[in-house]
Amino acid sequence: MASPKILIIGGGPAGLSAAQDITDAGGEAILVEQEGFLGGTPKRLHYSLLAPDLKPVEEVLDPLIDSVQQSGARCMTGAKVESVNSGRNGFTVTISGGGKKVEEKVDAVVVATGFAHWDPHKKYEYAYGVYPDVIDFKDFEKMLSDGNIVRPSNGQVPRRVAWLLCVGSRDRQVGKFYCCRLGCAVSIKQAMEVRRINPAIDTYVYYMDIRTYGFWEDKLYWKSMEEFGVKYIRGRIGSINRGEDGRLIAMAEDTILQRPSEVPLDMVVLATGMEASEGTRETAAMLGLELEEHGFVKPLESDSMPVSTAVPGVFVCGTATGPKAIPDSITEGSAAAIKALNYVRKRSIKVQARA
Amino acid sequence: MTVLQNLPRRGPKGTEPSMVIGGARPRDEKTEELAAKIFSEFKSDFRYKEYVLGCINCGECTTGCPAARFYNFSPREMLQIAYQDDPLVLLDAMQEKIWACCQCYTCNMRCRFGNDIAGIISVMRELAVRNGLDSAKEVLKPYSRILLAVMTNGTQVSPDMIQPDFFADWGPFAVAKQTDIKTLRKAIPIDVLQVTDSSWEVSMQTSLELFQIYTESGVVDMLKSIDPDLVEMIEDIVDEWKDEFEEMKAKYGVGEA
Ligand SMILES: Cc1cc2nc3c(=O)[nH]c(=O)nc-3n(C[C@H](O)[C@H](O)[C@H](O)COP(=O)(O)OP(=O)(O)OC[C@H]3O[C@@H](n4cnc5c(N)ncnc54)[C@H](O)[C@@H]3O)c2cc1C
Repeated sequence: MASPKILIIGGGPAGLSAAQDITDAGGEAILVEQEGFLGGTPKRLHYSLLAPDLKPVEEVLDPLIDSVQQSGARCMTGAKVESVNSGRNGFTVTISGGGKKVEEKVDAVVVATGFAHWDPHKKYEYAYGVYPDVIDFKDFEKMLSDGNIVRPSNGQVPRRVAWLLCVGSRDRQVGKFYCCRLGCAVSIKQAMEVRRINPAIDTYVYYMDIRTYGFWEDKLYWKSMEEFGVKYIRGRIGSINRGEDGRLIAMAEDTILQRPSEVPLDMVVLATGMEASEGTRETAAMLGLELEEHGFVKPLESDSMPVSTAVPGVFVCGTATGPKAIPDSITEGSAAAIKALNYVRKRSIKVQARA
Repeated sequence: MTVLQNLPRRGPKGTEPSMVIGGARPRDEKTEELAAKIFSEFKSDFRYKEYVLGCINCGECTTGCPAARFYNFSPREMLQIAYQDDPLVLLDAMQEKIWACCQCYTCNMRCRFGNDIAGIISVMRELAVRNGLDSAKEVLKPYSRILLAVMTNGTQVSPDMIQPDFFADWGPFAVAKQTDIKTLRKAIPIDVLQVTDSSWEVSMQTSLELFQIYTESGVVDMLKSIDPDLVEMIEDIVDEWKDEFEEMKAKYGVGEA
């Protein structure tokens, strides 16, 4: 039996993990990534330290990227899957990249096309794109990895920075009902980083609930208060205005004191939610995968078969099926790898039995 | 085992005691019965299910609320009271707090759960009026002139009355926006008649039809429990109009049969 050949679409944490396990198990992996580099969204947007252990992205992802590259997996960056045709003996796929088109026959497909940040322009009350000192998550991650925390409006070091959770999450008005799972943790992590870099900056997190599930509770939430002096205000900023001195004014209700509050702030960081990436939606359409009600790829059974799909031979992992963190995405990549390998093995046994 | 004495009962005899432990409560039988009556009317109102969906306590409604800035009032608290099951707390809120709302509906625009907060407050107000609560009488006393206009004309301000001269509290933005309001109105994408200056010219037939609607929908009865003198006055006016209208119809042979 020829070694199973499996196409992986998307080279983020999930896709990398799938590629690694497929090659480790003796399979042939073709990894197609549209960007010119591997590592996915954390690399593309220059995340700084990762929750919960505050390790740099490079420390977490580079070993995975290196070992995939050395494992013999075929990594095609700057490439896209143009078309997929399924036949009796697997799939015929056309991959374009570097001005060339190649055709490949593969036995199974793993979708790892990831997520996108929700666009905070759509929540106009927060004046993102109007006031330069209102920025979002990814803008701030970039700022942190550049080690340069300044107000975009005037280049000065801010005195007060606030995070506003659940922007584009848990909000019927924008059609995003679900929780992004990462917003609390990442905001807290960012606040801790700020305090570590410059303890003179006061940090506030405006929240409805803090969802640092599992070990993230003490590693992030408690620690941020005890060791870093991050302050928490229960209640949301409902709108952001600007005062005469150019500082932002956050209008909120402190729901514990039960009073409206208007607080001058130098920067507000919007914790934007996650949605399915364009690549995820395109790929789902190309492969005939159904989307679930929140717009992510629908697994065959969300409880018992989270990485299988209704299309035989197509598997899915990572944030393509919904919000999740890097460790979960990596775990799912491995799960999709073994499911894909088993699918190919079982099918070839059937073919042999028929022969 | 000790038996706890003198616990507040919170709810009329034979009903489930309420869940919310509040501060001092009136505990006389009459208040509790009234609270229970209003509570059941409130919860069974057909609008209740549509307006009150749930609440994740984000406070964005209160953030935008003009009343919350000046009074001990918050739309979030009102929604919570509407959502919870405490008749006495509901009655308390209806005695005072609900009247601070200015029905601007900013809370609705903000609400990420999709509640109709201003709407549920207006249901509470309606019940306060229907049940003739003293608070409702008190609150509506200074408004008899406005009520008179609304009941007879169907309107009490016309858009062209809203001029900066009359509103000292307008900020510079609002004033600036008013300077070319006619042009701005023309930019409204919906096809409207642009007859803002003629809102006062209500035909007699319209006024009479309107009053019929008020009567048949129970508004007149509702108002009677609050301000019977005013209703008497309005009825006199309407009776006069009716006679006049009949004369007109006879004279010109027009109008509905
Ligand atoms: C601001 C922020 C901070 C975060 N910080 C942390 C943290 O500290 N700790 C943590 O555990 N998690 C964190 N996360 C979550 C983490 O980013 C995700 O769990 C992880 O990136 C998911 O990996 P993935 O492989 O599923 O998707 P992605 O990382 O999105 O990778 C998908 C890849 O697929 C590629 N792709 C998409 N479509 C196509 C296509 N059609 N063809 C080819 N390639 C395609 C994309 O270019 C991308 O490289 C954070 C998330 C956010 C929003």
